[in-house]
Amino acid sequence: MVESLISFKGSKDGIYVFIKDGEFSVIKKQLEYRLKNSRSFFDGSKVINFKGKELTSHEEKELKTIMEYRYGIEVGDDKIREAKDNNKMQLIKNKKDQEIVNEVKEGDTKFVRITIRSGQVVEYAGNVVILGDVNPGGVVISGGNIIVLGSLRGVAIAGKRNNKEAIVSAYNLQPTQLRIGNIISRSPDNETSTTIGPEIASIKDDVMVIESL
Amino acid sequence: MGEVIVITSGKGGVGKTTSTANLGAGLAMTGKKVVVVDADIGLRNLDVVLGLENRIVYDLVDVVDGLCRLKQGLIKDKRHEGLFLLPAAQTKDKTAVNPKQMRKLSNDLKELFDYVLIDCPAGIEQGFKNAIAGADRAIVVTTPEISAVRDADRIIGLLESKGLHDPELIVNRIRQEMVQKGDMMNIDDMVDILAIDLIGIVPDDESIVISTNRGEPVVTDEKSLAGKAYRNITKRIMGEEVPLLDLNVDEGMMTKLKKMFFGK
Repeated sequence: MVESLISFKGSKDGIYVFIKDGEFSVIKKQLEYRLKNSRSFFDGSKVINFKGKELTSHEEKELKTIMEYRYGIEVGDDKIREAKDNNKMQLIKNKKDQEIVNEVKEGDTKFVRITIRSGQVVEYAGNVVILGDVNPGGVVISGGNIIVLGSLRGVAIAGKRNNKEAIVSAYNLQPTQLRIGNIISRSPDNETSTTIGPEIASIKDDVMVIESL
Repeated sequence: MGEVIVITSGKGGVGKTTSTANLGAGLAMTGKKVVVVDADIGLRNLDVVLGLENRIVYDLVDVVDGLCRLKQGLIKDKRHEGLFLLPAAQTKDKTAVNPKQMRKLSNDLKELFDYVLIDCPAGIEQGFKNAIAGADRAIVVTTPEISAVRDADRIIGLLESKGLHDPELIVNRIRQEMVQKGDMMNIDDMVDILAIDLIGIVPDDESIVISTNRGEPVVTDEKSLAGKAYRNITKRIMGEEVPLLDLNVDEGMMTKLKKMFFGK
């Protein structure tokens, strides 16, 4: 067996995959081999990132796909995605996962001071506060809570990493769809909301509950 | 140095071309030098709405490709002194020009005219990118339909991402009696969602259909309410403060007349 290019290193935040310099195809093969044999090692822990050899974004994505889809190991990938059609929404720079405190009680928060229009996406690993509206067709994705100081008419995805503690709150809560953790909910058909004022959506006993603030 | 205004909507059929023709004619009526540019290459119809189809010799693509001089491509309007049309090519498609060429064309036209109005094609692809490339200002046209408002919202986002901030909104084809019955979206709802400045509302008016088919912009029709709406928008484009058309008054008058005649 050739020298192992892959090693896993634990830290207080989680596990890093340490990659030595070498052929990408070899790296890929070895990673799969190691994962197959030490699946239980990862139970309940989180892989934070790759370290060591510089990977191109394409290579990194390929490795992540292997880990996430074949072995069900979530790999940190937090970034603010711009809408596909190069809507340059000058959003705040990416933060590496280890810097994010992914907590719904406190933690890193992103403030967005524009109206999120149809086709635009805001994604952040921590909490998201929108100082404006989210229009139908717009999407907000957050690892924590989502607060909209305006009307939420688009899609809000809170607690992306299956965090059911997360909440979605808006001054005018009329979303196309709400997702918290793995619970998906939509407003009832043929019914327009009559509530005026801020509301808060949360998960109680695996059911989405919407209450007035 | 003039101003380049793109008239866009995202959705088709909401009245971009009609609005371009009317605003162009309206601005020319006030004595401004105006050129309306049809950027809908392959599906041109601004020339038809203005009744100038039979005068086309050269088109936008010919000008951009240098097959003719800019002034040769411009068609003088038959009614309004100071109004010119740069027609689109009908035998080409949107890929016949690129945003860089459109930017140069817009800049060249700005030197010659007070206002350059660009009629944007529907959609968000190449044609849209071409049309907005050289614009200084944008007017978004929508109708009181949920699909049109949704597309307008998308377009506003795209305009902002291209640096065209604070576009202005025209709500076209409002039917006041339906709004009052609650069967049609009202202006406030639309402005609330789109969150941009309203520059005018145009009522749904039969005279538009008639004038469009005749190739005479309705803005010249003193009796038409839609014509008045376009004249008001023209003034607002030039920076004048004009109150919004009160459509209710007209409705009230009609009801009053009906009452007089039918005693209801």
